[in-house]
This record gives sequence, structure tokens and C-alpha cells, in this order.
Amino acid sequence: MRLLKFILINLFFYALLKMPGLLAGKPIPSSVITMYMFFIIVTVLLVMTITDEGAEDLFAPARSLLEDPSKAFARNVLFAVLPIVAALSVYYLAAEPAPPFELRSAHPAPPGAVRAYGKVYELDGLENPLRSIEKEDPAAFKEMVREGGEVYFRNCLFCHGAKLDGRGHYAHAMDPLPMPFTGSDTIAQLKESYLFWRIVKGGPGLPREGGPNISSMPAWEDELTEEEVWKVILFLYDYTGNRPRSWKD
Amino acid sequence: MPAIAAQSASASDGGPEKGRAIYEKRCSWCHGIDGAGDGPAAEFLNPPPRDLTFGLYKWKSTPFDEYSPSDEDFEKMIAGDGSHAGISGWDGMSGTSMPGWKDVMGPEGIRHMAAYMRSLSGLGKAEMPAISLAGKIRPGPESIERGRVLFKDRCAECHGLDGRGDGTKKLRDDWGARTWPRDLTKGWTFRAGSGPEDVYTRVTVGIPGTQMPSFADPSSKKAMTEEERWDVANYAASLDEPSRRPVPETVVKALKVEGGLPLTHSDKLWDSAPEANYFLFPQIIAGEKAFTPSLDSISVKAAHNGNEIAFLLEWNDPTNSMPWDPKAVEVADGPLFPDGAAIQFPAGEVKGGRPYFGMGDGRKPVEIWHWRSPEDQSGKEAFGVLEAKGFERISRKTVSEKAGFEASGVYENGRWRVVFKGPLNYENGPAFEEGAFTPIAFALWDGSNGDEKGKHVMTGWEWAKLEKEAPGPSYMWPLAVGGFALAAELLWLFLRKGMKD
Repeated sequence: MRLLKFILINLFFYALLKMPGLLAGKPIPSSVITMYMFFIIVTVLLVMTITDEGAEDLFAPARSLLEDPSKAFARNVLFAVLPIVAALSVYYLAAEPAPPFELRSAHPAPPGAVRAYGKVYELDGLENPLRSIEKEDPAAFKEMVREGGEVYFRNCLFCHGAKLDGRGHYAHAMDPLPMPFTGSDTIAQLKESYLFWRIVKGGPGLPREGGPNISSMPAWEDELTEEEVWKVILFLYDYTGNRPRSWKD
Repeated sequence: MPAIAAQSASASDGGPEKGRAIYEKRCSWCHGIDGAGDGPAAEFLNPPPRDLTFGLYKWKSTPFDEYSPSDEDFEKMIAGDGSHAGISGWDGMSGTSMPGWKDVMGPEGIRHMAAYMRSLSGLGKAEMPAISLAGKIRPGPESIERGRVLFKDRCAECHGLDGRGDGTKKLRDDWGARTWPRDLTKGWTFRAGSGPEDVYTRVTVGIPGTQMPSFADPSSKKAMTEEERWDVANYAASLDEPSRRPVPETVVKALKVEGGLPLTHSDKLWDSAPEANYFLFPQIIAGEKAFTPSLDSISVKAAHNGNEIAFLLEWNDPTNSMPWDPKAVEVADGPLFPDGAAIQFPAGEVKGGRPYFGMGDGRKPVEIWHWRSPEDQSGKEAFGVLEAKGFERISRKTVSEKAGFEASGVYENGRWRVVFKGPLNYENGPAFEEGAFTPIAFALWDGSNGDEKGKHVMTGWEWAKLEKEAPGPSYMWPLAVGGFALAAELLWLFLRKGMKD
């Protein structure tokens, strides 16, 4: 049954979108799910009707329901139910409209340069000045990572969590949720200069698409020294077993 | 105590040495490299991280005269126990900064950790089994009523008459740190579960290291029989108010009413207004930060009549912070400030995005309605309308008496109920429009916890919506759409018939 397949595929995607909310407690806003589902349904429909036979198959059950004389009863039921369903859905939509949703990019494009600590940092090509010590003096490097850890646990723990998974003990009260650093799809995709920018300038330094008005990330240039910021970046990669992307990649 | 603590640790299974490696990487940041609860994060956490060299654990299901928690207790306190998790996304101990380590350490790693933890205090294996739950009494109305009477006598002194943790005693744990009795109406904050069995276990075992005693200890003046402990556990568990547990995406819906709006929390009107609940997080973003908050959630109701809007803010606070009340002064942690509450809106119309949620900025200011509890016995509460362009640029607006701004609060048995009232339209005020969403944020101050100025708890931007009509949504559009669908069907039938003919 091609129609069944169509329904199942769409249900699968719907379940996928619902999953973060049900399993991890990070619900995707319902307005976003509605928007995604619209595109998913349209896309699946396009793919499944790409050949004439496919389209014929997909619509056959609907056609037979409308035209097959033996299905008159089902047709009459559908006729009676359809206006009621339409009226009810409008009723509930009007009763529970969703609040406006601000689309937000989690990893917006960084600016060309950042002004902080009385200097201008050109982000293009900017490296962590402490990174080279990793090879030159592993013992000193380990000590720096430990110091970075102390910076983290005195300043960042509350939101980003003791597991660095973005679930600190106050994270549940925040929207958007703090960023996780674990997993290969977080800081492993970023260069250290990007983290430097995010930490130093915080939420208020985000471009408009990053949601500067709702991010709870402080601008740490007022509280941490430049060295502390570079050290905490070393710690974030070391603790999670991630490697930063380099400018050579 | 040291004599018992000196029990041999050789009996512990797993490898304390393997546990040590995990400990240094994962745990030492809070619990300290030697386990003394003095890691770099310790001073910023409330409750403070456990001093593991003492061998005293709050999460314990073995009898009061057994020093060591069971193996299962150790596993649960390290792994986190998702079965009672009341806060979505949080897998650790509720009300603390201890996350659940199950996903990181795995079952074997957790056993190694438990062994290492025991070795830090020389704590041996428990010799007695966990207390029995076999005598469970069903939490029916009779048991709960018996428990209510017992609760008043044995528990209310610390937990308060309504169980909101507002007993007027200054409590400290064995390390001298301040502890607050549990607010029993917030089941989702219970560290080791909030079911009657969990509460029975706490009542029977006590919470080691704190002033929560074992009520099974016959030497205690307040000892209770097994039946009595079940009754009181059933009652305590019944105090939970799960409807007040905040859920994501909640909107403050302002009820539309005819006539005047009430300034008292007891007005019947509030019964029909829907309640919105929000979690609060401490202000740890800029300026003087609040690292050890005492308030964690707020309940909000709202009503409007087309000209004015009223908000009812309710939150549980263990103290009234009234400086002329000797008990309040005694219980306060340091200097006593008044309590406070604030509602924040964008100033004027929202164009191209909301203002910065932390009190706006120079480009997009916010408007704040700020209430403070009385500072002296005159009972006069303070209310002000503020305009802020960032937390360092706050100015007080002069509003005429006629404008209709008012706020009034009542403190009773561990709960503040404060009503705010103001005009729907005034210069640079929030852009309220019937049927539309308005950004709104809340902040609370607990003066007994040293909250003052930037030290407070808050929400981010939430949404408030002014209902259009008193009885609910209109029927016109649903009927129109239903009718349209029917007409389309009839048209189709007509055309089909025409084609056949």
C-alpha cells in the first residue's frame, strides 16, 4: 500500500522531531515542528509522485473511496465528518495560538574581527597561543588544562554542567538552553578562535540571527583575563576528548 | 563516630584505585582533590558538595543505627535516579548541582567510584539491610488525616504548618553550612524521590549530617511507631503540588473580565484565571551575582478589563524577611533585606525583536514594575515603575496617582501572594493588545538570603497574552470554516453529478 507507506514515512519524521522533547527534555517548539512537517509532507509527496504509476498508486485508495459505488457508506461518513473536523481544528487553533517564535542560529557566522582587552583580534587565522605548548611541554600543558578546568568550574558549571553536556543545574530555567561541548558535533566542528569570540563577547555580542536578546551567556571579557579564556578553551577540548578544527583543515 | 568510621575498607569490591582516576577527572572539581568537599567550584554551590572524608551521606536507606548506606544507595547517588526526575533534562540529584553519571561512567565505573568513595572515609559495607517497606499503609484519607495531626506536632516546627519549609529555625549541617528544610509542596525537588515510600525512608532513616532526625530512633523524644511514620509519610507526600511544576512553553493568559480588577490575592476572580509556572535561575550574568539562590519557581495569573491589567504572582519563600519580626532576623542569612518581585516588559512596541532580556539596552529599553515588601512595622510596601537601558542604567519613572499603578502582597505560611495592577496603556509602557502576545519576564528577591539589587532570581522572556472575550474563543470562524468545507463538498457532488449526466 503506497498510501500507508506515505503516512508511515511522515509519522516517522514527526516522531523524530518529537524525540528531543520526549527523551532528552529539549522540546523543539511546536511552531517549528509544524513548519518542518509542512516541508516534509510536501517533499515526501513530491518524491512519491515522481512517476505517473507512483502517483496513480498513491491516490488510488482516495479515488476509489470517492468513486467506487460499493464504498458509498464510507464516503457518506467522510462527508459528514470532514466539516466537523475542519471546524474543530479552527476552534482549537483559535483557542491555543502559539506564541511568536524567533528563529535562531546556534552557530552564527563570526565577525571578521573582535575588539577586546584593548586589542583587535582578527579572527581569520587566529590560533590559541597556548596550543603549541601541548607538544613542546606536555607537563606544563596538563597544568594549563587543569587551570582552565578551575576557570570552568568557577564560572561555567552552573549552566553548561559538570559533564559539559549543556545541562548545568540552572539550565532547565533557560531558553535557549546552554550549549553542550560533548559529542563530535559540537566544538569539534569549530575553531578555537570561534570559541574565543563566543566566550569573550557572550550573548550580547551575537549577531542578530544568533538571538542576542535571549541568550544568557555573559560577555566574559569583563570578568576573565585573555589567558583564562584561552585556558578554559584548552580544558573544553581536553575534557570532552574533542580536537579543535585548525585553519589548515 | 570516628570509631564506627574506622571500619575496615578492605571489604569494598571494585577497585578504589580505578575509582581514583575517574574521581580526579570528574569529581575533584567540586568535591576536592582529597574529597573534603573543597574543590574550586565548592564556594559557589548550594547545597555545598559533600565532604566525602566524613562518610556521612544524605541518600541512605539503611537503618539509623547502621552507619553505611547500602550499595544500592551509593549507586543511585552517583548514577542519578531518573525514576523520580521531576525536571526535564536533569538526570542528577534534584535541588543540587550533582548530575547523574550513569551515561559517563557506566555501571562498572560507578561501582569503582563507590569503592573509592568508601575508601575516602574508611567506610565499610553496610552490615544491616535497607529498611523494610513491607508495612506500607495505603495513602487513603484516614491515613493522611492521622498523618496531618502527627505532622503538626513533629514536623511543622521545621517544615512549616503547610509544609513549605517555612519553619522558623536556623538550621546548619554537621559542617556548619546553612540548610533549609525541604519545601514539601515541590515534589520535583526531592533529592531521593517524593513518593510515600521515599518519604517514609527519609522519616525512618533521617538525613545524616543534617538536623532531620530518624523518627525510628527510640531515644528520640519525637519517635514514632512504624504505622505513624507511614501516616506522616503519606501526609507529607500528599502535600506535593505537581500542578505547580513548571512546564516549557507556558503562556500567561490574562483573563478578560468586566468591571474593576482586584488588588487582593483572595478575590474569587483568580480562581478562574489559568496559572502559568516558571522555573527561576539566579542572576549570574553581570554585576554582583547570586550563586546560592533560595527561590526556584514562580506561579503567575493575570486578568484585564480592557483598561487595566492585574497580575497575581505567587511563590514559596521560607521567610517573610520582615526586619521587625525577631524570628525573621534570627533566621536570615546575614543582613536582612526586604523581599521583592518585578515584572519586566519591553518599553513601547516591539519592533524587530525583543529587547535584551537582562534589563534591555540603550537601543531597546525595558519597563519594570517593581514591588518591595515593607521595611518597617508601618507595613508600607514600596512600588515603582522603572525604565532600564541595561542593568546599570535604571531610572525611576514618575507616575501620577491617577495612573492606577498599585501592588500589594500578603505573606502566609511560607508563601508570598502579590498582586500588581497597572494601566494597559501609558507612555512608553508595554504594548498590550487584545489577542496578541507580549513579552514578559519575572524576577524575585529573597531578602533573607541576602538578595538585593542585582542579586536575585529571574526568568528569561516568556509570553503573556490578553484574552479577547470573557467566555473563551469565538465560534464564528470554526462555523464559517465548517460551513465552507460542507459547501465545497456539495459543490463537488454537484459537479460530479453533472459530469455523469
